[in-house]
Amino acid sequence: MTLLLRRPSEVGLLIWVAALAVTGSVAVAAANAAAFDRRQVLIPIAFIALIAVLHVFLAWRGLRGDQLLFPLAAGLSAVGLIVVQRLQPVDQPLLVQQLSWMVVAAGAFAATILIPRDLTALARFKWTWALLGLALLVSPLLPVIGREINGARIWIGISRFNFEPWEAVKILLVVFFAAYLEEYREVITHTRRVGPFAIPPLPYLLPIVAMWGIAMGVVIFEKDLGAAALFLGIFLAMLFLATGELLYTLIGLVLTVVGGFAVYNLIGHVHVRIETWLHPFSDDLRFSAGYQIVQGLFALGNAGLLGAGLGNGMPDRIPIVWSDFVFNAFAEETGFAGAMVLLALYLLFFYRGMLIALRAPTPFLQLLAGGLSFIVAFQTLVIVGGNARLIPLTGVTLPFVAYGGSSLVTNWMLVALLIRVSDVTARARGTE
Amino acid sequence: MTRTAAPTSTRTIGENIRGLSVAIAIAFLVTSAGVGYWTLVASDELASDPFNPRLVAAIRDRPRGKIVDNANGVLAESVKTQDGWTRKYRDRSLAHVVGFASFKYGASGIEAAYADSLVGQDPGDPIATWRARYLNEHEEPGSVVLGIDPKVQKVATDALASTGRKGAIIALDPRNGAIVASVSLPNFDPNQVADPRTEDLAWQQVNGDESKPLIDRARQGLYAPGSTFKLVTGSAALETGVNPDTKVRVDDPWQADPSWGQYYVRSASKAHGDFTMADGYRLSENIYFAKVGIQIGGQKLAEYANRFGVGAAPKCDVTAAKGQLSNTGTLDRPTLVADTSYGQGELLVSPLQMALIAAAIGRGGVMPTPHYAVEVRDSSGNTIRSIAPGPVGQVVRPDTAARIAGYLVGAVEGPGAFAFGARIQGVHVAGKTGTAENPAGPPHGWFIGFAPAENPQVAVAVIIENSGQGGVDAAPLGGRVMQAALGR
Repeated sequence: MTLLLRRPSEVGLLIWVAALAVTGSVAVAAANAAAFDRRQVLIPIAFIALIAVLHVFLAWRGLRGDQLLFPLAAGLSAVGLIVVQRLQPVDQPLLVQQLSWMVVAAGAFAATILIPRDLTALARFKWTWALLGLALLVSPLLPVIGREINGARIWIGISRFNFEPWEAVKILLVVFFAAYLEEYREVITHTRRVGPFAIPPLPYLLPIVAMWGIAMGVVIFEKDLGAAALFLGIFLAMLFLATGELLYTLIGLVLTVVGGFAVYNLIGHVHVRIETWLHPFSDDLRFSAGYQIVQGLFALGNAGLLGAGLGNGMPDRIPIVWSDFVFNAFAEETGFAGAMVLLALYLLFFYRGMLIALRAPTPFLQLLAGGLSFIVAFQTLVIVGGNARLIPLTGVTLPFVAYGGSSLVTNWMLVALLIRVSDVTARARGTE
Repeated sequence: MTRTAAPTSTRTIGENIRGLSVAIAIAFLVTSAGVGYWTLVASDELASDPFNPRLVAAIRDRPRGKIVDNANGVLAESVKTQDGWTRKYRDRSLAHVVGFASFKYGASGIEAAYADSLVGQDPGDPIATWRARYLNEHEEPGSVVLGIDPKVQKVATDALASTGRKGAIIALDPRNGAIVASVSLPNFDPNQVADPRTEDLAWQQVNGDESKPLIDRARQGLYAPGSTFKLVTGSAALETGVNPDTKVRVDDPWQADPSWGQYYVRSASKAHGDFTMADGYRLSENIYFAKVGIQIGGQKLAEYANRFGVGAAPKCDVTAAKGQLSNTGTLDRPTLVADTSYGQGELLVSPLQMALIAAAIGRGGVMPTPHYAVEVRDSSGNTIRSIAPGPVGQVVRPDTAARIAGYLVGAVEGPGAFAFGARIQGVHVAGKTGTAENPAGPPHGWFIGFAPAENPQVAVAVIIENSGQGGVDAAPLGGRVMQAALGR
């Protein structure tokens, strides 16, 4: 059988992705013909070539199972390239950088498809992952390689290249939790009940409390509210997936509120974040700390149902729009309708991921796939919620779409892991 | 089934996966509703925010509406140039009021406050607004009419310029709050800021200028009110039961008790004698008002200052500064009460606020709501919307206001009155001078007043920064502006 017919649904969907990449790029170029640079034509062509190569690679490796996740991730990445092309500031070559990162991400994707020969073996090295994760987490605090950008010390850098290590840590965390919880979930679930209260076996929950502490530590020392929210979310979701015990989730939420309140009172920048969230339009905030969110909301207000049209809005008035406010930029020019389509793509991605989790043959693979899918959905909710002022704004990125290398590379590795789990399931069932 | 869910568990992982999926789906629904709120529901409010850069975005592609004075004289209009439409401003003395609309530097003044009206999207015309927003069909914009009277504006501009100093004059109609003249010096050329060829240089210059020409001293300049604040102290005293005819002993210098140490209230005229309230106003006696202030107490004085709008931004169609009663907002030390009583202490007010206080005293205690624009018209000249905000409210009793007004006539016309310079032939004028001590050089000169005293048609506030003789220099300027406003 030819390579092309091994993953037929994927081919069909990728044609749509290619059409999206081309039309989006043309629309942006047409809206601002004066700033058009001929080399921009190469961007969608290079992107489509990259996607085609990855598809052929998947077919060649004979991966079975899900054929929807790869086109979804490719489609979201195409949206990312279109938005970055739209927003590209004159003095920074963000588009070329984003495409370069896309090439790196494709490499990481391929490597993740190839390298762990046996996915279940990942579980055996769980403490290695935990330690590696912790090391990465504290690395920005180290001298020489640690860097502080825009008030948050969450970067490590070597010469011109900066990387946000926690992006990788979130995957390591999910692997660790999946392995740990698979091993101990029965013990943890066997609670003694005193009246209506379930008393968990404390020693086994210790790593859990430790993680809560570490997440708070991240906020305090690295000034990163978004990463902390993400870790807590991942952790509570994994615990719920493994045990189904709502009580743990509730305890976690209470601890978060208590910790959050303490942090609110103790740390200036968190205080400012909250004030900015509550009163961004107040006279003393709208031109300082609240400027970015106010400009972001102006962009949303200009969206209407169908948007201003690509290239016809003014999202470039939002500071650092390409990494923090891509959602608003996209919504302003494609409208409420475009924003809903984008959110629907994320929900579809999550749904496919959860379906893979549901069908996976072992608890470890179930928890792994569930946790990884959760990351994408939760991260989307945290940043879009912040962009729309439903929750305080944090610096997490919109997966696949926001400008940023660390995010793109790790998210593509995440897709590869989900496709691997799906492949294992398909082979175990001997179908599809 | 190859799934090996633990049999001891009460729930399988599969069930948990379903539960989590439902929770996330609900969260997406809530988030979508939030996005829907901003994009569809709150969009009108966001679109008309004066600081929304989209309001001036179309500035080069389409003409904006005209801004005209109350005699239909054009103050701002869009002119077609080779760079597209450019804003032209006709009266530099109104640079702060009319403001500017720059693609790069945003908008200010009326250009910002009525930005939606000037692009044909006045809230009074929802259909045009809807067509512009959703169908991208733009009507030819109409005009915004200001209450500015060009004759009064000219007199005020010349009067202030003749002093050769920084300062501001603002005049309003106490009956409805319409501002008829407003000038602030130094000013700037808004044409330079709005013109794409000169905008960068002009912006750097006006922003870097030490004399701060971008600030509208009439509504954003904050100064100690000096003796003009005695309108507030006197009103508070009358309503707290102080008998204005009781003689109060004044011996310069004065302190309430030895605990004040080296601190004394001083009389400008080094007075020794017995003062009634009428004498206090006529001769602007600080010690009289300090004693009265101590008598009624800091709490009462603060209450009346708040009633007159001190420490709060006036509700106005173009944003105005709020100033302060004191650094803490309360009057909790006797020396601060004494100093505040005659307009020093930590008080900060704008000329607009002082003009409103004068207006309230003139109109039987009813303070008007100030506004620069009086009407929005469509392109064929029909009224879309009249701007006539009702009064702020009754801030003191009519009899209190009438009594103070009588004292203020004495302060202009009485023997030895400081504000004699504000007299107008054939009309009773009420007024009060003020001399504001300030750390940056000679004191500022104030005058506030209204005329005719018995039924005022104009109220005015004048400030001359670092004026040589304080309020005595400011009073004649106030008189000339009021005379022009009365058409004499």
